[in-house]
Amino acid sequence: MRRRIGRDVFHRWEGNPILGAEDVPYRCNTVFNGTVAKVGSEYLLLLRIEGQQGYSFFGLARSPDGFHFEVEEHPVLFPAREGEFCIYESMGIEDPRATFIEDSYLVAYTAYSGYGTRIAIARTQDFHRFERLALSSGPGNKDGVLFPERIDGKYVRLDRPIGLDVGSIWVSYSQDLHSWGHSRVLLTPRPGYWDSYRVGASIPPIRTARGWLEIYHGTQMTASGPIYRAGAALLDLDDPSRVIARCSVPLLSPREDYERIGDVGNVVFPCGAIVEDGEIRMYYGAADTYLCVATASLDDVIRCALDEAGGD
Amino acid sequence: MGTVAARRLGVTMVRKRGRDIVHRWEGNPIITLDDLSFRCNTIRNAGAIKMGDEYVLLLTIQSLRGVHRIYCARSANGKDFEVSPDPFMQPEASGPCAVYEQLGVLDPRVVWLEGAYYICYDALSPHGYCLGLARTRDFVTVERIGIVSQPDTKCGVLFPTRIRGKYARLERPSAGGSIWVSYSEDLEYWGWSDAVMTPRGGFWDNDRIGVATPPLLTEAGWLFVYYGVKETSAGPVLRLGAALLDAEDPSTVVGRTNVPILSPREYYERVGEVPNLVYSCGAVFEPSGEIKLYYGAANSCICLGTTDLATVIEACLHGEEEY
Repeated sequence: MRRRIGRDVFHRWEGNPILGAEDVPYRCNTVFNGTVAKVGSEYLLLLRIEGQQGYSFFGLARSPDGFHFEVEEHPVLFPAREGEFCIYESMGIEDPRATFIEDSYLVAYTAYSGYGTRIAIARTQDFHRFERLALSSGPGNKDGVLFPERIDGKYVRLDRPIGLDVGSIWVSYSQDLHSWGHSRVLLTPRPGYWDSYRVGASIPPIRTARGWLEIYHGTQMTASGPIYRAGAALLDLDDPSRVIARCSVPLLSPREDYERIGDVGNVVFPCGAIVEDGEIRMYYGAADTYLCVATASLDDVIRCALDEAGGD
Repeated sequence: MGTVAARRLGVTMVRKRGRDIVHRWEGNPIITLDDLSFRCNTIRNAGAIKMGDEYVLLLTIQSLRGVHRIYCARSANGKDFEVSPDPFMQPEASGPCAVYEQLGVLDPRVVWLEGAYYICYDALSPHGYCLGLARTRDFVTVERIGIVSQPDTKCGVLFPTRIRGKYARLERPSAGGSIWVSYSEDLEYWGWSDAVMTPRGGFWDNDRIGVATPPLLTEAGWLFVYYGVKETSAGPVLRLGAALLDAEDPSTVVGRTNVPILSPREYYERVGEVPNLVYSCGAVFEPSGEIKLYYGAANSCICLGTTDLATVIEACLHGEEEY
């Protein structure tokens, strides 16, 4: 029997996974966590590709319809081999999140080295040439996403530092992308919930009539490791340090084989989404091994964030 | 004649110098619970600065309930201190800092910068350790600038001057256990962070390190005392070392002591809430070249150690002959 709809608010595309290692024109370990941009009529995915050596870099895939992607012949961004970023990217660059702001894309990504993880920011127009702008956080921070507009004249970032082993989502502000401050804690893990262990920002916030929609990932620790799921929250449009609402249930949970089985099983990890005609199309990494897509109506997602969707 | 032999013979031998570069004052510890006019759990560490002729210590005191507050102690000679009965800083009850100070304010490090004393302290809450920044002119009233880092970052201290036009600070993010430098144009927004000094495998500081005293500009560069941690099967041993950073670019290490300048050896350093711990938040550099290093011992009392600037600089630059 063919399943018509998913068991979650987000419906998986029946062609999932949309990309796996065999779709990459060079040998690699895995392709997962990718961020999306629509440039003209073309859909681009900036992908985290883990090489056979074990460190990650970025590749690019193109699609006319947002579902059927071709991965380009060569990677588009490698860890820096010189300059100030070099020592902080020595173990790879990971989990890109692209935000279109003021005529260009700013890509927040995780710079990984023996010093820990830091949030780096690079600027691009075409996803081929990247200008590294700033190592915008100290070590021990990751999952950085930038808002698509300045608020009160400032850039705004969500991120995930670790404090006393608690991984919460914080908000920070900056005038120049280099120096950040006025940091506030926003969403913390909820004991007993699906997001009881750690939470982190996932997709760059989307402006809606009800507030900034943030789809975040939450983890629950089990005897055989964490389970990664996706949930949603709404933040005040003028003061994003104010949480308006937060879903009590996840919007997407690992259930399919490609989400359960892989290098890191039981993981769905969104890094980007596009809203078109009232539909949100979310791209997510599955089991650190595949890239997938799922769709939902924006209204349903907002209802879920407001906890009006029912279910428990 | 060794001390044990001397004791056996009933001879009282006064040790002339300590076994470390830093010499313990024979009146140690200088501040214990018995010197306070109120009950508390422990006295931990102290920031130190000389204001005119007066020595000022900012003590971290843990209450019986477990909250950390900062108390001011004053002295005319740097040895005999009077601790004020009321806290100088305590967790804010409301305002933007309150959430991040729920469990306490601790380990203040004080510098004189552009006409005021700036205090960088650890703000502790269930969300972790963040750096807080405050300003005072008299150690009576204090004005908070705000929480200036994300967690987990502790052991922050400002440089006493701007460097290449920017305010600068040293700090210890938990990830990696290294000392970092960050810069700011306005003291509120911080960035341009760079790793400065990392733990050394196989050394006494192999597990993690952090800033102890505020940096002092010397002819050889920025001199500061840092603490290094070595993990053992019975828990950590915390010792103090020293380092020199380039005057213009403090991310460049010019010198670093090969060996500790102070290690826990005395009873009051070995026995207490956290045994085998010497830890400092401040020192007074006298015009004579003497360094008065105020250090917490076993997270239980405050002690005084002395040494001189030239000896410490020499140990930073040519410490490889020490073993």
